[in-house]
Amino acid sequence: MPKISVKIDDKDLEVEVGTTVLDVCRANDIDIPTMCHLKGLVDVGACRLCLVEVEGTSKLLPSCTTKVQANQVIHTQTDKLKKYRRMITELFFAERNHVCSVCIANGNCELQDLGYKVGMENVRFPYLFQNCEVDSSHSKFVMDHNRCIMCTRCVRVCSDVEGAHNWGIMNRGYQVRIIADFNVPWGDSTTCTYCGKCVDVCPTGALWNKDATQGSMQKYPQAVSDLVEKREMKS
Amino acid sequence: MDKHLPPNTIMISPVTRIEGHAKITIMLDDASQVKDAQFHVNEFRGFEKFCEGRYFTEMPAITPRICGICPVSHSVASAKACEMIMGITVPYTGNLLRRMIHLGQHISSHALSFFHLSSPDFILGWDSDPVKRNILGVAEKFPDLARRGIRLRKFGQELSERVTGKKIHIMGIVPGGMSFPLTAENRQALLDWVPEAIETTQMGIDLIKKYHQEHHQEVSTFANFPSMYLGTVGPQGEMELYDGKLRFIEADGTIAADQVDPKFYLDYIAERVIPWSYLKYPYYKPHGYERGFYRVGPLARLNVASKMKTPIAQKEFEQFKAIGQGQPVHGTFYFHYARLIELMQAVEECKTILEDSQVTQSKTQVTGRHNYWEGIGCSEAPRGTLFHHYKTDASGKLVNINLLIATGQNNPAMNRSVLEVAKQYIKGKDIKEGVLNRVEAAIRCYDPCLSCSTHAIGQMPLLIEVRDHQGGLLNAIQRG
Repeated sequence: MPKISVKIDDKDLEVEVGTTVLDVCRANDIDIPTMCHLKGLVDVGACRLCLVEVEGTSKLLPSCTTKVQANQVIHTQTDKLKKYRRMITELFFAERNHVCSVCIANGNCELQDLGYKVGMENVRFPYLFQNCEVDSSHSKFVMDHNRCIMCTRCVRVCSDVEGAHNWGIMNRGYQVRIIADFNVPWGDSTTCTYCGKCVDVCPTGALWNKDATQGSMQKYPQAVSDLVEKREMKS
Repeated sequence: MDKHLPPNTIMISPVTRIEGHAKITIMLDDASQVKDAQFHVNEFRGFEKFCEGRYFTEMPAITPRICGICPVSHSVASAKACEMIMGITVPYTGNLLRRMIHLGQHISSHALSFFHLSSPDFILGWDSDPVKRNILGVAEKFPDLARRGIRLRKFGQELSERVTGKKIHIMGIVPGGMSFPLTAENRQALLDWVPEAIETTQMGIDLIKKYHQEHHQEVSTFANFPSMYLGTVGPQGEMELYDGKLRFIEADGTIAADQVDPKFYLDYIAERVIPWSYLKYPYYKPHGYERGFYRVGPLARLNVASKMKTPIAQKEFEQFKAIGQGQPVHGTFYFHYARLIELMQAVEECKTILEDSQVTQSKTQVTGRHNYWEGIGCSEAPRGTLFHHYKTDASGKLVNINLLIATGQNNPAMNRSVLEVAKQYIKGKDIKEGVLNRVEAAIRCYDPCLSCSTHAIGQMPLLIEVRDHQGGLLNAIQRG
């Protein structure tokens, strides 16, 4: 692949054409927080945590869906970006009911880790305290909408990797919800294959195995990334 | 100053050196004599309501947040309720570790109650300077005793930390057993600590017994009134702090009900809502509301038990029983002595558990699924018998939760104790701070756990007003 030159955070880099800004940063130890991104899944730029500043562009661009251009000058750690990342994190916590102390994912949660990472000491926005359902109708798994941040990893892994299309999205704005089939209880879904990939990629305590308990729950998003990589190598 | 306070009323708010927030109101009659007293718990938690809709296996992680002092008891009762729903039995090692952590919580809680919260009254004096009547004041005068008390509490917490990695609000007590095993290294570290823990507990026992001797009249009459008692016992009637069957005794010591499976608790206990407190009034159902009030906790457990499980505790237990001369010991002040005897059994039993060859086995948990729709779990919390009762829908989501907390069961008795002490010490409108401390101390005997808040230092502001029947202010005492 042909290579181009870019400058990221004052580092001059030679990168392959067609690479995303996020991939370049990760390959060069430049830390950018993400929630909706997962290696192996198609990026959708939903969480907005990975926004970067590109000189010559007035808008902030999501690094997971932005491909590097020749001679671009990119900034990933400005005060403005750090401010927005913390604000976005606070909005995640304010939108639904994330109570880490009693959450099944406590200690094994990407959202919790993100809170520490961006230095979130408090939430400055009023909590919405939405009345969200817990769907425990499935024989193996639980879907807790209280903990969902709409990263849509579950939707993408189910359609793109498993090919089952069990998960979809309903409504817009703060009423948006992940749904099984045409909004049926997960246990009544006719498309779910019980594979558990959605549970493994979920970054929070929204999807979990019924055998799991607080402190012992482990998720394996990397397993899905590895699976996709192996399939690509085979093909 | 509360302008809405009824006339002839004394209010103590907040009650200090207890866990949680409460206040006391004492009503005087026209002759300025104590007419009635009410112990108000003025905080609302709402766990029974907001846990509705959660999946049942989450409860052992949610309910410990009720309290920062006795979270393990909630975890244990909750996990047992879940195991009844699943229909599973905990493996031997899992049960051993749970028992040990639960005993560890008793050790830390009882050490906190005695050395941090109550001992300042005995050691420094009821009427000593309130600014120094706390653990720091004790540390100033008796540094070795204070240090040992603090270390004993630490030992209790260490029993949790060495298994689960956390001292408070541990993760690991789960439906089916324990998530984490105990390593051989941690087992040895805990065993090495046991002799010091026994020695410190014995110091506490000697201290309270000396106080009993020197203040016999005060101790024997302090809020001394007959009541029923409830506690957990083993198959031979031995005192149990973790798992067993319920025993109710009458005020004269006769057994009212024995070897009752906790899952039938509703056949024996009913609750009534009262207008002045968020705590309900539980009572022994067969006797009805008027006659059925009972006490739980250390005094109750020793009163109902036939014997202790360990040798040093048994020796003290025999002396405790001698106080009652064949009857239950009703004096509220003896809660402290009973608490220390329990503490001794807890430390000794931990030693036995740690010496068990299977305590470091790796098989600590079994798994199960939602098989039944209802589960009841019970444990002996430091403050008394605790019940968790869950009902679920077909998918395992909780539709009804009943938590019967130890302090709630002592509510009628605490009210009665305040009244008894107020009658004994408050005569007319001239009230000294030390007298009010005695009224608070009646509550402190029960070591009530009103929430997860802890106020170990006892420096909170306190305002007491005495008003005549016209509402006029007769006297006001303020501290803090």
